[in-house]
Amino acid sequence: MKQSIRNRLLGTTTGVLVIFLTLTGWVLDQSFQASVVTGAEEQLRLVIYSLMGGVEDEDGRLKVGEDLSEPRLSQPESGLYAQLSDDINGPIWTSPSAVTSDVSFIVPVAEPGAFTFAAVASEVPRFALSYAVIWEGAEVERVTFSAVTDQAPFSASISQFRRSLGLGFVLAMAVFVVAQVLALRWGLRPLRVMADEVEALESGQADRLQGGYPRELQGLANNLERFIDHEQRSRTRYRHALEDLAHSLKTPLAVFRNALIDKQLNRPLLSEQLDRMESTVTHQLSKASARGPVVVGKAVDVTRQVERLLRALETAYVDKDISVEMRGDEAVLVRGDESDFLEVFGNLAENAFKYGVSQVRVGVQGGAPGARVTSEDDGPGIPTSLRAEVLDRGKRLDELKPGQGIGLAVVAELVSLYSGTLEIAESELGGAFIGVNLPG
Amino acid sequence: MRILVIEDEQLLRGQLTDHLKDNGFAVDAAQDGEEGLYFGREYDYDAAIVDLGLPKIDGIEVINRLRNEGRTFPIIVLTARGHWQDKVEGLEAGADDYVAKPFQMEELFARLNALIRRTAGYASPVLSQGDLRLDTAKKEVRVEGQAVDLTAYEYKVLEYLMLNPDRVVSKIELTDHLYDQDFDRDSNVIEVFVGRLRKKISPMDMIRTVRGQGYRFVADVPV
Repeated sequence: MKQSIRNRLLGTTTGVLVIFLTLTGWVLDQSFQASVVTGAEEQLRLVIYSLMGGVEDEDGRLKVGEDLSEPRLSQPESGLYAQLSDDINGPIWTSPSAVTSDVSFIVPVAEPGAFTFAAVASEVPRFALSYAVIWEGAEVERVTFSAVTDQAPFSASISQFRRSLGLGFVLAMAVFVVAQVLALRWGLRPLRVMADEVEALESGQADRLQGGYPRELQGLANNLERFIDHEQRSRTRYRHALEDLAHSLKTPLAVFRNALIDKQLNRPLLSEQLDRMESTVTHQLSKASARGPVVVGKAVDVTRQVERLLRALETAYVDKDISVEMRGDEAVLVRGDESDFLEVFGNLAENAFKYGVSQVRVGVQGGAPGARVTSEDDGPGIPTSLRAEVLDRGKRLDELKPGQGIGLAVVAELVSLYSGTLEIAESELGGAFIGVNLPG
Repeated sequence: MRILVIEDEQLLRGQLTDHLKDNGFAVDAAQDGEEGLYFGREYDYDAAIVDLGLPKIDGIEVINRLRNEGRTFPIIVLTARGHWQDKVEGLEAGADDYVAKPFQMEELFARLNALIRRTAGYASPVLSQGDLRLDTAKKEVRVEGQAVDLTAYEYKVLEYLMLNPDRVVSKIELTDHLYDQDFDRDSNVIEVFVGRLRKKISPMDMIRTVRGQGYRFVADVPV
């Protein structure tokens, strides 16, 4: 069985959402990290500026005043450290905070006037910023101010941010999935209702759909409805045909049974009863096996089917030397069952070949929609009494004698099944004219 | 005439075989498509009667295959009356005629005879060559208007020769097409039949002996 619609929708939307949230989270996290690092750099820069402001020059010897503007520099292990060094003596001054900590100040070989910022991956991760200047009047003119801070407070704020972000996303996700499940349940409800109704039809608890479906399902529901209708109609037809068959066979069967008792075999009577049985079986069988107008399915090209039939009949009747005239529109399409149509046109055309003397004329015209098929011959024509019998719907057609009548009766039956009409007249060729009009 | 009957319903197959034999045909009967196809490939028939709904290989398929393999003997299909689809498909596959079930034996035989005649090139049920006339419907032979009294075997020989004019027909071919398989091929019965037949239809001298090969029916001899 294929994945349910619900799982398909839920799966794809959840997947898309997860990807979307992951990407968003990653972008947010990256920019937050960047802003935190920029903040750290900014903080260190301020420390360096305030250091520079506090430098005292005593005859070329530089020293940093006791009074530091940043109290954390005086506090041991505060996490903020600073150093002043020159190129020859190395460190000139180190902040009191660094006394008990093992802090490595980076002294970059940078151009004077340029800041160098780096994240230092030591045992305690830190950020370091250095700034080299040319101090005029100093013993060693090139000096470097360095400031270092622990990464811990910054990492903490990043972790905090990530936690809230994750929590927010999980919540959003949960809300979304719940909403999605509810929406699907609501959205797919009509399908479930329809499935239940079809099941009720199957088990015989209902005989039609309740209706009232949303627009998307209405077409399907209509088709289903027509299918059911069609099914019920063919079942009824089948049952009627069977009942009629059983009923019509009773009399001839009784005649045969009695004939077994009779000393003398009444051949003409038995033969007549056999004919009757034969035409009954033929007629009822064709009635029961007709498919009727199809609900869905492809249309049948009437012209092509008629041409097939004529070719086949020309083979079978090659002895009769009949000239066949076929006038057919291109591709006349009618919705229906191919074998039903072959039955109709086959019986018509066969009668024309059988009763015609030398000429058969067949025409197929496309209507809009539908088709009109005509068959003519130059035979004796159809007696008026038989025409009336065939066209009279109420007449028990299976009581007709075998021959032209039974074929026509089958045609009449099928044509009415397709809500078409049958015309019987005289042809200008001198024989029978039969017209069948089929709706599209 | 040797006929192949392929029909799966035992009762109908038996009836067909009996009636055909009664009417002077030699018959091979097959009960399914496979057996029918085997017969159709192995032997030369004058016609075949094929039911369409067959077990193992469908009747339409049997016809298709026989035709694809170059078998040209005429074929009549048996169909249910209300099934035009079958009739059309049968004829499209290469059958020459159809008879709808249930059918009268007479109708089937009329169609069969007509087909065999048609295949031999005769348009009418009365085969006529010069002053010799053979009526396939009445099984009657006339020479210059006078009825000739022939035995069933003599008639069959003459009919077969007339249906295969201007062609050498061997004695084996004659026995194959006219008699059932248990016929004694070594006997000179055929020679005797042909000898008597010649006498009976004299002064028509149309059956020529081709030494060492068989007989030839010579059409359109000037009398």
